Amino acid sequence: MKKFKVKFYPDNKICEVEQGTTILASAISCGVYINSSCGGEGVCGRCKVILLKGNVISQPSGRITLEERAKNYYLACQTTVQSDLEVQIPPESRIDLEKLSKEELDLRLKGLYTKSEELSFSPSAKREKLFQHSPLATKIYLELPPPTLEDKISDLERLYRAIRKIQSVQIMQTGLANIRRLGGLLRSSEWKVTVTLGKRGGTTEIVLIEPGDTSQYNFGLAFDIGTTTISGQLINLRTKEILGTKIEHNMQAAFGPDVITRIIYAQEPDGLEKLHHAVIDVMNEIIQDLTQENGIDLNNVTCVLCAGNTTMIHLLLRVDPTYIRRQPYVPTANFVPTIRAAEAGIKINPRGLLSCVPGVSSYLGGDLTAGVLSCGIDAEKELCLLIDIGTNGEIVLGNKDFLIGCAASAGPAFEGSGVAYGMRAAKGAIQKVNIEPDDYTVKFSTILDARPRGICGSGYIDLIAEMLDKKIIDKSGKIQETKNKRLRKGEFGWEFVVAFKEETDIDRDIVITEIDIDNLKRAKAAIYAGASILVEHMNFNFWDIKKIFIAGGFGNYLDIDNAIKIGLLPDIERRKITFVGNSSLAGARSILLSYEAMEKAEEIARKITYFELSVDNKYMDEYMAALFFPHTDLNRFPSMKR
Amino acid sequence: MAMELVKEKWLNAINKVTIGSTAEEGGSRTKVVTLGGEETLPFLHAEGALPYKPVIAYEVWDTPARDWPEGLSSVYGKVLNEPFAWAKICVEEYKAELLCVRLVGAHPDVENRSVEEEADFIEKIRKSCGVPLIVVGCGDTTKDNALLPVCSQVLKGEHCLIGSVTQDNYKTITASCLADGHNIIAESPIDVNIAKQLNILISDMGMPLERIVIDPTVGALGYGFEYAYSIMERSRLAALAGDKMLAMPFICFVGQESWRAKEARTAEDQHPEWGAVLERGIIWEAVTAAGFLQAGADILVMRHPKAVEIVQKNIEELMGK
Repeated sequence: MKKFKVKFYPDNKICEVEQGTTILASAISCGVYINSSCGGEGVCGRCKVILLKGNVISQPSGRITLEERAKNYYLACQTTVQSDLEVQIPPESRIDLEKLSKEELDLRLKGLYTKSEELSFSPSAKREKLFQHSPLATKIYLELPPPTLEDKISDLERLYRAIRKIQSVQIMQTGLANIRRLGGLLRSSEWKVTVTLGKRGGTTEIVLIEPGDTSQYNFGLAFDIGTTTISGQLINLRTKEILGTKIEHNMQAAFGPDVITRIIYAQEPDGLEKLHHAVIDVMNEIIQDLTQENGIDLNNVTCVLCAGNTTMIHLLLRVDPTYIRRQPYVPTANFVPTIRAAEAGIKINPRGLLSCVPGVSSYLGGDLTAGVLSCGIDAEKELCLLIDIGTNGEIVLGNKDFLIGCAASAGPAFEGSGVAYGMRAAKGAIQKVNIEPDDYTVKFSTILDARPRGICGSGYIDLIAEMLDKKIIDKSGKIQETKNKRLRKGEFGWEFVVAFKEETDIDRDIVITEIDIDNLKRAKAAIYAGASILVEHMNFNFWDIKKIFIAGGFGNYLDIDNAIKIGLLPDIERRKITFVGNSSLAGARSILLSYEAMEKAEEIARKITYFELSVDNKYMDEYMAALFFPHTDLNRFPSMKR
Repeated sequence: MAMELVKEKWLNAINKVTIGSTAEEGGSRTKVVTLGGEETLPFLHAEGALPYKPVIAYEVWDTPARDWPEGLSSVYGKVLNEPFAWAKICVEEYKAELLCVRLVGAHPDVENRSVEEEADFIEKIRKSCGVPLIVVGCGDTTKDNALLPVCSQVLKGEHCLIGSVTQDNYKTITASCLADGHNIIAESPIDVNIAKQLNILISDMGMPLERIVIDPTVGALGYGFEYAYSIMERSRLAALAGDKMLAMPFICFVGQESWRAKEARTAEDQHPEWGAVLERGIIWEAVTAAGFLQAGADILVMRHPKAVEIVQKNIEELMGK
């Protein structure tokens, strides 16, 4: 197989590709972004490039005018490399990565967030082994017998026949773009090709045909798109190996901390566009970073699987979320069909697929479905409760017979936003805290043992529990005015110094203020009250529950006992409570790796009954009663009684 | 066939709180007042014991009560300028069972009296009358935190009811009352949860639950009466159903609220159809008080002797078995 060099201007980037590769794919392989809304179908005409030097084979297209043709314009997706090339990308075809003005964004994010750091953690993968390995996109290497006078079925049928010899695939479909290239490609690659098969609903699509054997290189990403953080995981679809995980802040936070304010922002001029770009930019950055670190060509990333709350999925797909907020709170879609990733602006192989975990309702999204799947609640005989502690706390109660869920708006405090020194569970985040009773000396440990840069959710839980225990705060969260070098009156009232300037990595003291404690108190009250109302609604109490799964972006550590001490979790036997990490991401990964899991997820999403907390007037009372550490009803926290 | 009365079974009773202590008990009061102890909702004698009747406390100020309307101030006349004479009239003439002494003059915006002056005043009150005492600060947090601990010391052994503490300011005053053996008024802004939270916080400091009285913050008739009523009712229902952190008697500052009402103050020439202003004020205070009795009030702090007389009669009727 011949290889050629393609040079792109004005990026001045060079890549080496096999003969017959499209210019679009070549560009992506070296990180040059070309517009492509149709995902290489040759339909949208956005990927026009100017050929400066070299030979190509191009499908004629109505998208190129005669005038343009005279100037050597080609559609990058319909043009294959046949020699070394030099290609100019005109401004109109460049992807405008600056849609979301950097300045505007930096200003709004100032002091709120730090850039992401890599973080290795292993969320639960309880059921992964149970599902048959059948990724969303599979690659098969085929050596086709060349046609003879005796065997002269068409090229496409020849391809189907070869595929069916390996896999039993009933309904197969192929896009026109692939059919157009098929004849030439099969012959120039001497009938040795790799096809990528994608699952799209009940049918299988030939997503991609590549010359030679690339079946070794098939990668996908699982995403958890949260209101505050976005986590992505790169996976080798062939070996199921996790190659890396990255967590970034959702840049949409610049437009509002919760889904409601973002839905409102989406109605402003360009609002939807900006929100959409904020999420895909972060996702593309994660994809870019993970693939580069692992030396993977973006063309070999064939699919992406996203779990997120309903609003996040709407914004990812640039679907107007307005109606989620309006009575009777109906989303545009809970079950989104598999689409081309490029249609949503996700930069992987331009023909690669994007699928979303089905959601339940406007406020119970696919992230929860994925969580239920990964914890296996739908198969449990015993009564289980899943609490996903996020900006929108989602809670599901049930077992194999029934599933009911609700969503409680908790705010982003446990994800490190809206608190003075909060940060995500990333390098340098204080995640474990102990306070000495006599002189309040703080002993802490940070993620990756780096110098502290802030406090993450699990750190705050420990901190509050310890401060209560050492009587630094009272049960309402007020700091007690005691003489100690760690206690002082700051700009925002009383504060407690967790780490002094000399110990930190940020050249400032890391403190927790009374306002922080108040925000954390409200967040924990919202989640506890939601869980408690849901359990009560089904005529159970917490002691009836046999297994409680706690999910959330807490990194790899959460002190269950401390979470109970502050009243975030119900006071039940500790052994019944399991911390499962990011169960949404784990579920998304299962689904990415197995179509069986996807079918299971659809079943779960249909099975979950949505319980609207706002129609239950008990919720507000319950919430108010929980605004205390641990709770105003001490009978519910028997182990906390003195 | 006679109709059978449906009776509710309650799990818990309201705490008994005793105010005042006699010479034998280490104080100097001529008698003590016990309240609370209800085993059921107000006046449902058939359902459970209601061992003590609600008590009315007369208000006495350390400084002339200048903003009292004519209809109210005229009954007291000149004694409004002489606190000790004022106290004496309440006890001797009006037979007050309890006195509620308000240290209004200590407020920085009123007379900004010093802590020493007030301590002296309190000591004189203690000596001049024998009824159990309620002592209420001036309402300025910083001042009260300096003032009330000193009053608490002066009154040590008298088993007074001292207040008020709030969720944001409870430590200093609670600590003194605890040390000097007084009861405490826990004030919450018409909110059951905060009332409960505050009780937990106070009891966390070691204050026995039997020494806490809840001030739920009330409004006069027509000025949030129903709101306060429903908060008291919810709180009482929770207490009787077993919530020990809400099982405290209530104190209601009825006088201060009702005499602020437009209906109690507006002159006759402005609203002739409203009737005589003198009667209006009395009726407003009496009706507000009678309403809160039904919500479970244990102490009513009142101002006009005529209104007190009406309510006293009402209490007797309601308590008569």
